[in-house]
Amino acid sequence: MITVKKLNKKFGDNHVLRDIDEFIEKGEKVVIIGPSGSGKSTFLRSINLLETPTSGEIWYEDECITKPGYDADRIRRRMGMVFQHFNLFPHLNIMKNITLAPVMLKIMTQDEADERALRLLRRVSLQEKADAYPSSLSGGQKQRIAIVRSLAMNPQVMLFDEPTSALDPEMVGEVLDVIRELAEDGMTMIVVTHEMGFAREVGTRILLMDEGRIIEQNSPDRFFTEPKHPRVIEFLSKVL
Amino acid sequence: MFILEAIRDFFVGLGSQFYQTMIVDDRWKMLISGLQNTLIIAFFALLIGVAIGTFVAIVKVMAVMNSKSKLLRLLNWLCNIYINIIRGTPVVVQLLIMYFVVFVSVTNALFIAIVSFGLNSGAYVAEIMRAGILAVDKGQTEAGRSLGLSGSQTMKAIILPQAIKNILPALCNEFITLLKETSIAGYVAIQDLTKAGDRIRFTTYDPFTPLIVVALIYLVMVLGLTWIIGKFERRLAKSDNR
Repeated sequence: MITVKKLNKKFGDNHVLRDIDEFIEKGEKVVIIGPSGSGKSTFLRSINLLETPTSGEIWYEDECITKPGYDADRIRRRMGMVFQHFNLFPHLNIMKNITLAPVMLKIMTQDEADERALRLLRRVSLQEKADAYPSSLSGGQKQRIAIVRSLAMNPQVMLFDEPTSALDPEMVGEVLDVIRELAEDGMTMIVVTHEMGFAREVGTRILLMDEGRIIEQNSPDRFFTEPKHPRVIEFLSKVL
Repeated sequence: MFILEAIRDFFVGLGSQFYQTMIVDDRWKMLISGLQNTLIIAFFALLIGVAIGTFVAIVKVMAVMNSKSKLLRLLNWLCNIYINIIRGTPVVVQLLIMYFVVFVSVTNALFIAIVSFGLNSGAYVAEIMRAGILAVDKGQTEAGRSLGLSGSQTMKAIILPQAIKNILPALCNEFITLLKETSIAGYVAIQDLTKAGDRIRFTTYDPFTPLIVVALIYLVMVLGLTWIIGKFERRLAKSDNR
C-alpha cells in the first residue's frame, strides 16, 4: 500500500533520515519506536508530505506522491494524522472541528457530516461534548476528538505521532482504547509511540529507528524477546 | 489674600482670552470642521491600510509556506519593496510626493491625503497582521493541511479567525498613530484639526488658547480609544477560556 524507496531528509546539515526503504501492506499496524531524535516523527510526517523528502520516493498504491507537481492535498485526504499536541481548532466547537474539512472539501453536505460526526462521537463516548469548545476538554478527550476528526474524512491509513506523549498518565488508557478498537476494525496504521506495552499488543510489526535508519524490525513477540542489534538490546533494556 | 486674588484674576483672564479667541466670530467652528477632516482622513486611511495590509501579510506568509510558487515569490518581492519604501521614508515626504507629483492633476486634497495615509498605514498594518498570523501555533496549520485542506482554505477557516485576536488590539493602536499623523495634512492645504488651530493662532495673535485646545482634543480622542482597546483586550482574553 505504501512503498518508501531510498528516502532521505536533511534539515540543513542535519541528516535526519538516511536511505529508508520500507513497504507497508494494507491492514498492517506498524509501530515505530526509538530514542528521541532518531527520525521517527520525521519519517511519519514524510509519508503524508508534511515534510518534503530531500531525496527518494514514496508511493501510495500505484501513485508516486513525491514526484514534482503532485498535489499533496490529495494524499492527505486519504491519510488521517493524529498529533502529539492534538491541534484541535480552539475557535470552533467540537462538531465544527470534526465537520470542517469534509464539508469544506465538498465530500459531504453539512447534514451528512453532522450525522457522521455524531456517530463517531458516540463511538468514543463523547457525544455530549458536541457543542463544547476544545478548551473545556481534558487532554484525553481532546485526543479522542482529534482521532474522530481524522476519521471523519474516511481515511484509508491513520498516522499517529506520539498520540499519548502529552497526556497525563491516567488519560493514556482511554486514548489507547480508541486506537486499539480502530486497529481491530482493520484500519491500516502507522504509530510512533513510547508505549511499549501497546506496541506489543496492537502492532503487527515493530520498527526500531536510530540515527535516521530503521535498524531492526520484527513481529512484536520476536522483537521484544529476540532482539539482535546491540543498539536495540540497549534501547530495550532502558525502556522495559 | 493677594495670592487668591491673583489666581482668580488669572482664571478670569483666561476665560476672557478664551472668549476672545475661540467664541468671537464663531472661530470654534473652524476647529469642528477641522476635526471632521481629521477623522475622515484617519478612518478611510485605516480602511485602505487594512485592505492593503491584509493582502501584503497573506502574500508574505504564503510565500514562506510555498517557497516554490513563482507568482508568490514575485508578489513577495514587490511587497518587500513597498514595505521598505514606506517605512524608510518620512510620511510628510510621501504626502508631498503624492500631492505635488503623483496626483498633480487631482484637485481633491482630502482624497490625496486619504490615499497617502492609507498607503503608509498599509505597510505597518501588514507587519501587524503578519505577526498576528505567525503567532498562531504551527500545529494549527499542520492539522488543517493534514486533513487535506489547501493552504488558502487553512488560512481562511483556521488561521485568520485565530489571528484576529492577536491583530485587533494592535490595529486599534495603529488607528491612534494614524489619527495623530494626520496632523501633517496641513502641508497640502487641508484644513484639519491642527491646521484649523494654527489658523486661529495667526488670525487672533493668541497662540496659547487654540494650540492647547487642539492638543486637548487629540488627547481626549486618544485616551478614549485607549480605554476602548483595554475593554476589547479583556473581552478577547475572556473568550480564550470558554
